[in-house]
This record gives sequence, structure tokens and C-alpha cells, in this order.
Amino acid sequence: MTGRPGHPAGALRRAAAPRADPALAGRLGVPPVPATFVRRARLADRLARGVREHPLVLVDGPAGAGKTLLVCDWLRTSPPPHPAAWLTVEAEDNSPAVFWHDVGQALHRAGALPRAVGAARRAAPAGRPPRHLATGLGLRRDPVVVVLDEFERITDPEVATGLDHLLRHCGGMLRLVLVSRNEPLLPLHRYRAADEITEIRAADLAFSEEESSALLTRHGLALSGPDVRVLTGRTEGWAAGLRLWALAAARSPDCGRYLKEFEAGHSTIADFLLAEVLDTQPAGTRDLLLRTSILDRIHPALADALTGSRDAERILDELARANAFVTPLNGPWYRQHPLFAEILRVHLRARHPGLPPELHLAAARWLQRAGLLDEALRHAVAADRWDLAAAWFAGGPAVDQFFSSTGPGRSAALFDAMPAGLEGPCAELIRAARALAAGDCAAGTAHLDRAAAGLTAAEDDAPARLTAAVLRLVAARLTGSAPGAVEAARTADRLRRTVPADPGREHQVLPVRLFTDLAAVRLWSGDPGAARAALLAAVAEAPGAEHPERYEPLGLLALVELLGGAVGPAERRARQALAEAGTWEAEGTGRAAIAHLVLAWIALERGDPAVVRSHARRVPAAEAGAVTGGAVDGGAGDNGVVDSAAGHGGAGESGAVDGGAPVVGSGPGGDPLRIVLGAVVRARFALRNGDPRRALALLAAAEHPGAAGEPSPWARGLIAPVAAEALVAAGAAGAAVGLLPAGQARSPELALATARARFAAGDRGAAARALPRTPAGPPATVTRILLLKAEAGAADGDERTAAHLLTRALATARPDRLRGPFLEAGPWLAAFLRRRPDLTADHGWLPEPLRRRAAPVPGPAEDAPPVEPLSRREREVLERVAQLMSTQEVAADLQLSVNTVKTHLKSINRKLCTSRRTEAVRRARRLHLL
Amino acid sequence: MRYEIRVAGAMSDTMLDEGFPELESFVIASQTVLVGPIVDEAHLYGLLARFQLLGLRVTELRQLPE
Repeated sequence: MTGRPGHPAGALRRAAAPRADPALAGRLGVPPVPATFVRRARLADRLARGVREHPLVLVDGPAGAGKTLLVCDWLRTSPPPHPAAWLTVEAEDNSPAVFWHDVGQALHRAGALPRAVGAARRAAPAGRPPRHLATGLGLRRDPVVVVLDEFERITDPEVATGLDHLLRHCGGMLRLVLVSRNEPLLPLHRYRAADEITEIRAADLAFSEEESSALLTRHGLALSGPDVRVLTGRTEGWAAGLRLWALAAARSPDCGRYLKEFEAGHSTIADFLLAEVLDTQPAGTRDLLLRTSILDRIHPALADALTGSRDAERILDELARANAFVTPLNGPWYRQHPLFAEILRVHLRARHPGLPPELHLAAARWLQRAGLLDEALRHAVAADRWDLAAAWFAGGPAVDQFFSSTGPGRSAALFDAMPAGLEGPCAELIRAARALAAGDCAAGTAHLDRAAAGLTAAEDDAPARLTAAVLRLVAARLTGSAPGAVEAARTADRLRRTVPADPGREHQVLPVRLFTDLAAVRLWSGDPGAARAALLAAVAEAPGAEHPERYEPLGLLALVELLGGAVGPAERRARQALAEAGTWEAEGTGRAAIAHLVLAWIALERGDPAVVRSHARRVPAAEAGAVTGGAVDGGAGDNGVVDSAAGHGGAGESGAVDGGAPVVGSGPGGDPLRIVLGAVVRARFALRNGDPRRALALLAAAEHPGAAGEPSPWARGLIAPVAAEALVAAGAAGAAVGLLPAGQARSPELALATARARFAAGDRGAAARALPRTPAGPPATVTRILLLKAEAGAADGDERTAAHLLTRALATARPDRLRGPFLEAGPWLAAFLRRRPDLTADHGWLPEPLRRRAAPVPGPAEDAPPVEPLSRREREVLERVAQLMSTQEVAADLQLSVNTVKTHLKSINRKLCTSRRTEAVRRARRLHLL
Repeated sequence: MRYEIRVAGAMSDTMLDEGFPELESFVIASQTVLVGPIVDEAHLYGLLARFQLLGLRVTELRQLPE
């Protein structure tokens, strides 16, 4: 039954060119109203008044009661003075992500959201409506009407909760009209109690005798008053019953007798009448109605493909004109009335038992050739032809649905039900994609190997081989394998030029993803130059901010810039990445994590803990690869030291993580790049807060990032200096020296770390030798090197050199306001600057304590004993803190509550005039209190 | 669980055989009575949805003693 008249693609071209989602576009228009429609002023007025006065209007009645037409007619003839959005809900909408995407599209189509509010494709976590919808609606000056037809398909309570939430948080700018067979799961009692709802229910929708009479007149039937009363009584004013009766009676020679028979009979109305009407149709029409009942929407050429005739266009047109069974949709499409389609399917099964699977298969093939993949797949599955579904999905440009930044697409979810026994390379590819999307690299690779064994070099297999190459690249990114990634990227790039792109997609995702994944592996393997080139290529393939895949390469570019020392450009790129991710509601996903981490890093260098925390909190927990408790997540005060210890824990303790959003494309494994970067940023933050143990634990947890066995040289280059610094801070300078590679350091960061460890170990000569004569590199590193040199100079008593180096450090840090290095520098700097306030005179950007002039009331004289002596308990606490015990450990050891220990720590800080526990320990040591 | 479901009107044989093959049925005084085993609640609600989809009015629903 394939290869029927009129190539589907050609037939479709007559329709509006399919956009991103042609099937969706068809559900966003207000359906047309047939000529036989009877306007009922009592209902139209109630609807109009309801929308004017109440946020929620519920049109609630059985199938075929005339609910949809009532709302259509109202919108078409006396529309409200506000924009109106329409969405015919379908089964796939019964999940928050799809539902909110479709509602967003409906609002956009109605022009109900400001342009700046992008079209999001992914819902906010926990079934909430995407934030931009509430915000966008809240910005409006007048309300917008949203009609959700066939809302009975929504049974997911999360969607209903989200709608309720949106109604309550959009500043009254939403008028919701729900058209449903069932009561929706919204808390209707509350709306009723608050007089916020208009309900038009079955009893209201029932036709009165006058209305029945008008309806019959439209169908060319003139019945007497008593006859109308009889018919209205027998059908209980049910619109579908009246319409079917009119259609059946119109073909009956004696209308009056037909009514008498109908009245006397006891049959169920729709069932009986539909069979009657169906039997009076010409054979061709009957056949078409039965066969097309399996379709959600009917294209004349598709109907021809199902019937094997060529007259579907004429028949559908006639049926639509007579308002019998089908209504026209946008373009050449039609649809059957859902009630009639349901009954027709029963008749189809009864009359042609073996036919439905065949019809589904024929429909699937037609839709697939027409490029309507989502619909094609649904029918292939209905025909139980998983092999075809798998081949079309994996052998097409659609498999990136699994890895789209906006979450798996509609059809990806379909394959959840793919039978485990299905064999073949395409089925294996789909299994590989699912495994890799879940971060399971081992399983993904195993499936890929099995798929590869079944693929040939034939041209027919090119799309599947392209899919395989794309998946190989994803796997290579997870394992951090540069050779694998390069090879996969080459293969994919070659194949994608031979495989036609999916014309139905608004954005071509594949090239962007290829370059991005390749760049990530390049960066991981220590080639920032190649990474940068690939990222620029990715961005070039994704022109315009509305491309859904652009934010990830932007975030990675920000990282490359940052590590290259270009703080300003890095910040701009990262902000742009997050702005675009926000458009796609993807800020909380793994792919946006890099941009958040870059901004957290920059904030750390600028000494802005609140900003560090706010970004670190947005990095999904699964990506952190380690504990994120305490200072980062606790939202503790800025003197995070005391508080940070509360969340102190060892590596792998994941209980303290915040409720990160579900992560796209990450799972047990996750992107090693993100894991390492996350660990380094968090460790540095812990260090800044005086918690070297935590820093070390965080770094240790990134030792085996995700599926990558070992950190790359790149990762080690990031981790080692921070680990060394943490060891120095923990009083283990010797261990720090041992940690770092001997000989000439490969990076200025390593050189700095080596020098610092040597310096802390008391070997000033070795420290000086480790540092380059003229430091070069990122400004933050250069600043730190200059500061260390200055500290050495000051320690040697060479005040002039120290002052000179300090001036250079300040000048280096100034353009990017890098306060971090100065905050980390330790007490010598504060003391030095107090003696030389002239050095900081021009540096208003420095934090207060470092800028304080030699004032009449000086800060605490460095080594003056505390005014108030420490209590015995406080000394005990401090001794334990000096042994690097956490707050909890101190509490356990002293048999005190954690809060009591915190109180002691606060009073210790107060008495010693310090603000952090490490500082307190240092000061106590100098004062010989320990 | 066995249930008895009554629907207003006499349902056609086609509808009974193809729409509700798992239930036995008989017609009395302008009612169709359907009786059969209901596997679980999901089945029950699915069944009710099917009646609704097909434009049938359920007038009575009760669980039968085992």
C-alpha cells in the first residue's frame, strides 16, 4: 500500500512549509466552525462574561456536547479584546516538559509574550511552569486568554499543579479556558469558594428544544414542535446525538417515521446512529472513514494511501461541508471528531480485524516519507514494527534528540518501550544513545560495538553510521579520549555531508554538537588552541541567539578565555551563555554548568563570596562529583568559616548537595571536564574560607572524574596547584612540595604552587628559584607570583623591593578587580599596607581591611595579646581546630553540641580580633596561646 | 474483582464485541449490563475512560461479591 499517488513530500509542500513542529502548528489554531453550527447566545454570553470576570473558565461536558465549537465560535465572532492562545492538547502533553513547551508555543503564536522572552523548550524543575511564562505574563498590561482544548488528556497532577501555580502568579494576566470531558485536577473548590471560576457544564451545554429546532433547520430538516420535543428528550439535548440523527434522517425517506422508530428504540445513541449513518454512506466514503479513523489528522494524500483510491480530497471536502464526521484543520489537513473516530475504530476492528496494523504501517511509511518523523514513529510502533521505528530514528538525523540541550524530544521517549529482544544495529544505536544520555559510558560503548558489527559500508547505512559516529564522539567526551573523539568527529563530519539534514528542524543541531563535543575533548587533552578553534566553529554553525545549542560552546569558550587569563572576555561569554541558556530554560542543566563555574571562578578571583555561592548553587549536584555542603550551599554568612565546617565531610558524601535540577546528558558518569572544574572551583572556595581539609576532599573526589579513568594533564594542571596550596594551608608544606612535579614547572600556576610550598617549608632560596624572573600568564596568577615575591622581600627586610612588587601586583590586578589574591595573601600584607598606606591610595577597589589607613585607632596590633583572655573551653576548641578538626568533630570530641562549638568559635574570633578560624589559629600560635 | 457496569441504552453487538471484548453483557429494559473481571484499578479507570470516549453513559457501577 505504499507508493500511492502523489508523493507525500509534494503533497505536503502545498501546505504551509513545515516549521519546527508541523504537527504542533496544527494544534495551535482555533479550529473552524462549520456552517451548521448553532450559536447559542446564553452560552456565548456566559463564556464572554466568565473570561471577563474570572481567571478560570471550565467548559466541561461529555464528548460531542459542543464544547469546542462553543469556544471556537466565541473566539471567531466576538473575540475578547485581548490576545487569545489556543492549544489542542494531545496525549504527549501529559508530561510537564512537553506541556509547557506547547503552551509556550501557543502563547508565542498569539503574540502574548514579549519578544525578549524566548520560546523555551524545557520546563522548569518540579512541574512548575517555566519561569519565563509567569514573568512574561506578569509583564503584560492586559490579560491573555489561553484555551486548552481536550484537556481531559491531562492526568498528570504536576501539570495541573503548574497551571494552578501559573494562574496565581501571573498578576491576573491569564484567563484560562479549559475545555474538558472530565473535571481537571485543579483545586476547583478553592476557585469556587473564591468566586474565581465560571463553569459551563453538561446540563448547560444540552440543547433546548428551540436550539434543537435551529440545529435541525441548519441540516435542512423541518420538524414539528412535538417532534422536536421528542427528539430533544430522546437525545437529552446531546449535540452529537442531534447531529447524527439529522444526518441519518436526511437520508431516510420519511423523517417522521424515522423519528418514531428512533424514539421507540432503546439503543445507545451515538453507537446506533453512527452505524446508521455509516451504512447510508457511499462505499468509498465509508471505507475512507473507517480507514482514516486510526489517524490523529488526515491529509488527503495520506487518506489515499490508506484507501488505495484517489478521491480522498473530494470526499473529505464533502464530509467537511456537510459537517459529518470530519472538520478541516489548517492547510489541507482534516480531523475526525474524536468521539466518532473512537466509534469508527470499533467498527473498523469489527469489519476488518486484521486491517488496523496494516493501516498503521502504511500511515507510518507515508508520514516518514513526508518527513513527519514523530507521527511516523507513533504509527510504526502501533503497527508493532519496532524494527522500522528504530531504523528511521537511528538511521536519520533525529538521534541527537537524546542529547539536545533541551531534553529528549517526543520520540526519544517513545523508545522507552522498545522491546529488549529487538536486534539490529539501529536498535543497538538507540540503546547506546539512551545509555550515553544517562551517562553510562560502558553500556553505551558496548551497544555501539554491537551496532558497528551490524553496519555495512553501503550508502543506505550512511545515516546509521553517522549516528554511530556522533555517539562515539559523545562517548569519547565522557571518557576524555582525544584520539577517539578526533576520529569520531572526522567520520561524523564526512558522513553528515552525504546525509540530508532533517528539513523539519528549525535549527540544525548536529554540527554544533559535533564541534562542541570535539572542543571539550580537545580542552580536556590539553590543547586549548584547538578547543578554541572548534568552539568558534560551533558558534559559527549556530548563528543567532535563538539557536538552542549555542550556550554550551559559549560557556566552554568562556572557560578557554578564563584559563588564558582574559577575565573580561570570559565573563562576557559566560554571561551570554547563561542568558541564552535561560531562554531555553536550561540554566539549571549540566550543559550550563561550565558557564556558572566560570562566573564562580571569576567571582572568587574578585573576592565576592555571595556571587560564588549563587553560581555554585546552580551547578547540578550530579556534576559536582563531590560534596557541596557547607559554605557553598548553606547560604551561610560571609564569615563562612565557622559555618562551613558544619557541612564538613569526606569525599563522596553526597547527602549535602542541594536539590540540583535533573541533569541532561549526565548521570553516574557525567562530563569529566565539568566534574574537575566544579571540584577545583569548590576547593578554592573552601580554601578561601579557611577549610583546606574540605578542599582536599573535594579534589580527591575528582581524581576519577566520571567515565574518564584518570584526570588529563589539563585536569592535573588545574588540580595540583590547588591541592598543593591546600596542603600548605593545612600545615603540610612538605607534602605539598612532594605533590608537585620536580624541575621546571610547565605552567605559571605550577611554578607558583611550587614556590609557595617551598616558601612555607622555609626554603626561601628554592622558592625564589621556582618563580620566573618576569612572571607571565593570567593576571590572577601573575598577581599571586608578585605578591609571593613581595612577601619574600618583606620577610628579608627588603621593604623597597617589596613595595615595588606590591605596586606591580596592584597594577596587574586592577583592570579585572582581582581582589582574591590579596585576600589570600595572609596577615603580612595587611601589616605591610598599614605601614605603607600610600601604596593603596589609588586602589579604591581593594577590600576595606587592606585599604585602611594608619588611622588614630589602628586595627588590632598584630601581636598584642587579646584584651579578653580565652576561656578554658575556648582554648580546647581552638586546639582542636588547629588540628584541622571539623566543627562536628570538635563537638563530638568535647561532647558539646555543634551550636555550642560554633558559639565558642565566634567568641574566639571576637577575642582574637580575627574573622576566620584559620586566622584565629595563626594568631593564637603567634601569641603562644596554643 | 468482578464488577457490574450498567450503561444507558442498548449497545450494539459490534460495540460490545469490539469495544469491550473482556466483558460479558446482556440488555435489559433500555440498559446494557456489562459484567466481568476487573484486574485492578487501572483497568477500572481505563474502562470508564473507554465508555466516555465512545459516548456511552454509565448509570451504575458496583463491585460484585466474590
